[in-house]
Amino acid sequence: MAEHTQEAAGGGADFDLSQFYEIFFEEAGENLDQMEQMLVGLDLSQADDEALNGIFRCAHSIKGGAATFGFRDVTELTHHMESLLDKLRRHEITPVPQMVDVLLESADASRSLLARHQNGGQGEVPPTAGLVQRIAELAAGNVPAAVAPAPVAAPAPAPAPAPVVAAAPPAEPLPPGVRRLTIHIGPLPQPELADALQDLFRDIPGLGTMTPLESAQTDRRSYDVTTSSSNEDLLDLFVFHVAKELVDIREEAAAPAEDPLAAEEARAAALDQAAAQGRPATPPVAESESYGFFHEPAALAPAAAAPARAAAPAPAAAAGAASQSSLEATSIRVAVSKVDQIINLVGELVITQAMLAQNSRALEPALHQQLFAGLADLDRNTRDLQESVMSIRMIPMSFVFNRFPRMLRDLANKLGKKVDFVTQGEATELDKGLVEKITDPLTHLVRNSCDHGIEMPADRLAAGKPEHGTITLAASHQGGSIVIEVRDDGKGLSREKILSKARERGLNVSDSMPDSEVWQLIFAPGFSTAEVVTDVSGRGVGMDVVKRNIAALGGTVDIDSDFGRGMKVSVRLPLTLAIMDGMSVRVGDEVYILPLSAVVESFQVQDDAVSTVAQGAQLVKVRDEFMPVIELERLFQVPPSVDNGGSGIMVVVESEGSRAALLVSELLGQHQVVVKNLESNYRKVANVSGATILGDGKVALILDIGALVRRTRH
Amino acid sequence: MHSILAVDDSPSMRKMVSFTLTGAGYNVVEAVDGQDAYEKAQTQAIDLVLADQNMPRLDGLGLTRKLRENPKFKTVPILILTTESSDQMKQAGRSAGATGWLVKPFDPVRLIEVIQKVIR
Amino acid sequence: MAAVLEQSDGANATVAGEYLTFRLGQEEYGIDILKVQEIRGYEQPTRIAHAPSFLKGVVNLRGTIVPIVDMRLKFNCAQAEYNSFTVVIILHLRARIVGIVVDSVSDVLQLQADQIRPAPEVETSVDANCIVGLGALSERMLILLDIERLMSGVDMGLVAA
Repeated sequence: MAEHTQEAAGGGADFDLSQFYEIFFEEAGENLDQMEQMLVGLDLSQADDEALNGIFRCAHSIKGGAATFGFRDVTELTHHMESLLDKLRRHEITPVPQMVDVLLESADASRSLLARHQNGGQGEVPPTAGLVQRIAELAAGNVPAAVAPAPVAAPAPAPAPAPVVAAAPPAEPLPPGVRRLTIHIGPLPQPELADALQDLFRDIPGLGTMTPLESAQTDRRSYDVTTSSSNEDLLDLFVFHVAKELVDIREEAAAPAEDPLAAEEARAAALDQAAAQGRPATPPVAESESYGFFHEPAALAPAAAAPARAAAPAPAAAAGAASQSSLEATSIRVAVSKVDQIINLVGELVITQAMLAQNSRALEPALHQQLFAGLADLDRNTRDLQESVMSIRMIPMSFVFNRFPRMLRDLANKLGKKVDFVTQGEATELDKGLVEKITDPLTHLVRNSCDHGIEMPADRLAAGKPEHGTITLAASHQGGSIVIEVRDDGKGLSREKILSKARERGLNVSDSMPDSEVWQLIFAPGFSTAEVVTDVSGRGVGMDVVKRNIAALGGTVDIDSDFGRGMKVSVRLPLTLAIMDGMSVRVGDEVYILPLSAVVESFQVQDDAVSTVAQGAQLVKVRDEFMPVIELERLFQVPPSVDNGGSGIMVVVESEGSRAALLVSELLGQHQVVVKNLESNYRKVANVSGATILGDGKVALILDIGALVRRTRH
Repeated sequence: MHSILAVDDSPSMRKMVSFTLTGAGYNVVEAVDGQDAYEKAQTQAIDLVLADQNMPRLDGLGLTRKLRENPKFKTVPILILTTESSDQMKQAGRSAGATGWLVKPFDPVRLIEVIQKVIR
Repeated sequence: MAAVLEQSDGANATVAGEYLTFRLGQEEYGIDILKVQEIRGYEQPTRIAHAPSFLKGVVNLRGTIVPIVDMRLKFNCAQAEYNSFTVVIILHLRARIVGIVVDSVSDVLQLQADQIRPAPEVETSVDANCIVGLGALSERMLILLDIERLMSGVDMGLVAA
């Protein structure tokens, strides 16, 4: 770990702070996420104090941790971010979009810096000097492209230095590479601002020391500094607080610079030596005290009267943060594999419990009352346990939605469009495994809406629409599925364009095709009607991949469009449940399972209600509706049953808005089934979505209602 | 064995402090903010409170004041962890009733030194 | 000692090791013992529609769904009965767990390199590519199979075409 030059703060040889790094990385990541969210949601016209304080606290927290664990580059960058945010929350400067931009970019850079540390320091160091510069300018009130008073550009003629230098403190031998400097700062309207520089030396481990010196002039400050950093680095660091041309660095005796590693070691040795001799070691804290007690008379530092500032942040801080901390206090992190293991075990428990129930059916209830009472309890407990366990893996859609505000903001900016983003149903839950897989396709759909759907502001106004377009992301549960819609009020799809493009590509289309089928054409590989291919989307590789990804999850995609008004893409996914409610039916002598959520109703077959149409297909009339009949015996080539009695039962099922009637021999019952995968050891079987183990230990196939219904629609 | 109530909303800081103090032979009770700390103090015997200043819900000084209002906690030593050691902070700490303060970021060794000055 | 199978192009490497031997029709076969998970009696599997006739269906093996292939049907052996003596070898292969129905299981044999000869170019029911060699032990002649290769062939119906 040569990369981690963790000087100072974590210095003690007994303490290996690296074991806390992972926690810190995760925590910093969450803080960055929260900061980003709050920044994007900030209303600049009436900036919310709570929000500003919250954003400040995120930066402050990251800085504190980075300083403690020795990630100097992160400490420096977040220090600057924190300073800007501090000014904002104290209302010393007004928030403008450029500040949000640079803070967002700085958050990104922080992420990269942290990621680099997490990977052991490989790769290039992301540049931060430009960000620091911009932050400094904005903090000074210089908003680019605004009417700027004297810009902080070319250095002004060197200020006449105040050569008042008090006697320097007795020089202690300097480790190699460390220089002693005298730094004069001024003239300053508010010289106390320079005192903030001392914070830098205190916060950033290994930077050096900075001790104030007596200065004859009230508008200047002087300091005795020891550091191994170059003058340029120091000026970059100071730039936030004081302009470069106001800083005069004078060098005193410098020790010959040796290689950095030796310098580090020498410095550490000096520290140990100082500690061993009971002398106060000079680094890391520049202040005279790094701790203190109120019982003893505290030595008051001769500081200038600090300008009256607002009181410390009120204890009654953001309620939003409160709910997060209380959430944090009552939750623990668990590896996903552990949760999966629990789910498997609960699944086995359900099967065992079903077997017990099955095998006890032969017994006389009256003789075995306690046994039956116990089994009833077991049934209930198992059901409750299973529900609890399944809910562990379910997380709200907000986890998926969260990335979109920032992404859309950047995208809309880039394209010059104005887009509002609305979400509905953030609390809708879905299985964690699905979340990861649905994010890419959804991202593509949202980017599509922004790029191809929403028009340029001028075009929208010309069309009588509001300048701001709206993209809505909505999630809901319908039946046994989760439905996610991406809606926009853009220009929608052009039927003519799509048809002509399809013809160009040699696809077989006709002018009389219904809209729904025309829209499905855009899922064909390589299909894109965009005139100009942007680098965002429109390469034509998108929609077919989206459809394929969703199909791989067992879902479907549908499109609805109103030319000139907008478009809606509906993604429907089965809720992956390892345990589901099933209805078992007998077909011939075989048992099959139907997902209960897809079953609408069932009834005895009346011969006169069934009619045969062309090609032998059958329809059945249910009240006022005709629906296709699926004879499972025929479809699954079930050998004819010994007992050939009865005309059978019709079970009406529904999927994706369409219905069909399954013809079965008998209804056997409803119960919970554990869904087992057929593909692990075998392969995908048509019209079958999985298998389960019945109470008698036998395997039964679970029917894929979606596939069955789709068959009838051709 | 002495018990220390360690309060900080940053998990990594909390863990580090907890690890440091447990290694030095103390029993550590963790809290995520001032409110959480106050509740925990009611039910557990605490010999020293080590609290970060900057926390949501109830910050370090707020916790100090609240504890001091309760006769039960009139004399328990309270150390505030702060990123600034300005006069103003010291003033506020003193009037809130804190016993002392420690500047962040700190060396774990120093933390133990300071605590040992308070709990003998 | 496991039977390590090294397949070089064309030539079938002869490999010493431990083999489980079983009977199928008139022939006796041997497979790498490490691929064998267990041996069970036959239970009626759940039928899968449209599967080839030799793929009898799937069974529940302590919570796992396992397909059952009747090798006697696959290799057109004379009789295929299902009774209390019918034996199923459960194989633990790289890609799957699968059970094969055979006539009977014999024993586990240790074969040295000098007891294994390359297979002649003879028409056999089993694809020649899946035959590792011929094992000779006193009066017995064993057809040694690359069971991984055999079961992952498309014609076995376990892999989607």
